[in-house]
Amino acid sequence: MNKLYLWGIIFTALMLLFTYMSVAGSEGGLNDDIVNILAIAGAVALVLISVFVVIKYVRQMQTDTADGQLADESWDGIGEYLNEVPKGWAIMFLLTMVWGMWYFTVGYPVNAYSQIGEYNEDTAAHNEKFNAQYASITGERLVEMGESVFLAECKICHGIAADGIDGKAANLNVRIEANVVKHVVENGSNNSLLGSEMPMPDRNGLFNNNTGALITDAEIDAVSAYVANGMSGAGADVFAGTCAACHGEDGKGMEYVAPSVATFTPELVTNILNHGKKGVIGEMPKFDRLNAKQKEAVGAYITSLSK
Amino acid sequence: MFHWLEKHPFFFAVGVFLVISFAGLIEILPNFAQASRPVIGTTPYSTLELAGRHVYIKNSCNACHSQLVRPFKSETDRYGHYSLSGEYAYDRPFLWGSKRTGPDLWRVGNYRTTDWHENHMKDPAGVVPGSIMPAYRWMFTNNADIDTAFAEQLTVAQFFSVPYNKPVPMKDGSTTVVKMGSSVAEANALALAEAKLIAADMKDQDVKDAVANGQIPEIVALIAYLNSLK
Repeated sequence: MNKLYLWGIIFTALMLLFTYMSVAGSEGGLNDDIVNILAIAGAVALVLISVFVVIKYVRQMQTDTADGQLADESWDGIGEYLNEVPKGWAIMFLLTMVWGMWYFTVGYPVNAYSQIGEYNEDTAAHNEKFNAQYASITGERLVEMGESVFLAECKICHGIAADGIDGKAANLNVRIEANVVKHVVENGSNNSLLGSEMPMPDRNGLFNNNTGALITDAEIDAVSAYVANGMSGAGADVFAGTCAACHGEDGKGMEYVAPSVATFTPELVTNILNHGKKGVIGEMPKFDRLNAKQKEAVGAYITSLSK
Repeated sequence: MFHWLEKHPFFFAVGVFLVISFAGLIEILPNFAQASRPVIGTTPYSTLELAGRHVYIKNSCNACHSQLVRPFKSETDRYGHYSLSGEYAYDRPFLWGSKRTGPDLWRVGNYRTTDWHENHMKDPAGVVPGSIMPAYRWMFTNNADIDTAFAEQLTVAQFFSVPYNKPVPMKDGSTTVVKMGSSVAEANALALAEAKLIAADMKDQDVKDAVANGQIPEIVALIAYLNSLK
């Protein structure tokens, strides 16, 4: 027998022995562990294939002789045969070219990774999930959602308790405070509220129908206290004479004319979120990046605060 | 020719270099030029905003605040649209940052206002409970350096063709003009006019008085800069 085959058999036997020892000695061993059995099978296959391939090529090196015609070109003494291109290789080469064309024109452009593309997919998936879970919530759940949005976006100015942090922003636990009413009456207002086109005039356009004259300082103070006090106390006559024409006798506002000054309404809050607001306290930026449901929820939460 | 190249490795290397460079150039340059062009709606900084930017850099605001909104849903929900490279066309240098001890500020002008910044810079924990940001009270008394801001404007206008005093396209199709003075005195006057608009929305009487007297405290410039980040 050829010495080469003998070494091959010895090597194979040794490798199989090592494999068996290392697997059998490991945790689980060969009993009922499919992974270990697979590993053994794989190792056996590897050893056999390796030994077979090595023996084949060593034999070839020992016995083969070169034939064929050499090319004229010689690179520092290294020649090249003018053999036919092997068929399998040629087919693979052509297939690679076809694949390359596909990849260049379709494969890469259509399937390429894009960070923005992933962002768009994430956003679409999130919006779909949001709509499925929250698009139709009402009542208590809407208020809860409003509270969480409030704590994320609004508390930074209005405070966790929505009290406006000592006058740094509007106190949302009450509908409106006297200094705000006073400022609006004196300076007018147009915060694009409720689709109303006509701005509220300043004090030079506000007549008290009871007296038939422009509203006076004393009347402004009285009506400010009246509105801030939740539409009660002194000043009711001034409100009826001056403000009720637009804001309604109960102060609850009129659609497309004026907002409610007696209570918050979700429509009012949504409007302020869409347009922002500027008044005596300061300026509030618009928060139109909240989606419609979130705005509605914030409106529900703020409305629930002052009840 | 290939035969010749194979025998001359140096020229072969030069040829390879030329081919790869050419491919790189036609692939990279057009995209780069497109991406670095200002986005529609991006305007150069006014004198006061630029002075505020200098205050921002001087106080190392960029050590804790980034100026880059990444394209993740969680970020765009909080900060607004993700950043585009062309939006930084007039930032020299950009202040992207990679550390967010505080929130990102690239679009802070969209969701904070002058009076909030005033309260916040005076006493951060007063508006944001638990905030570890220090107060920056000296900004209410130190004056902003308008001259340096004007010098930077002149430089970038001359060497980088930043379009001062020229119409800049806006998102709604209109154009706007960011003015730059032609002298130091004019630049100061322009900055003061802008500072007056900011001071009108502020509550601090000392700052209001200073602006009325022709001075520009750092806080006014900083707020102008922060409001311009949109």
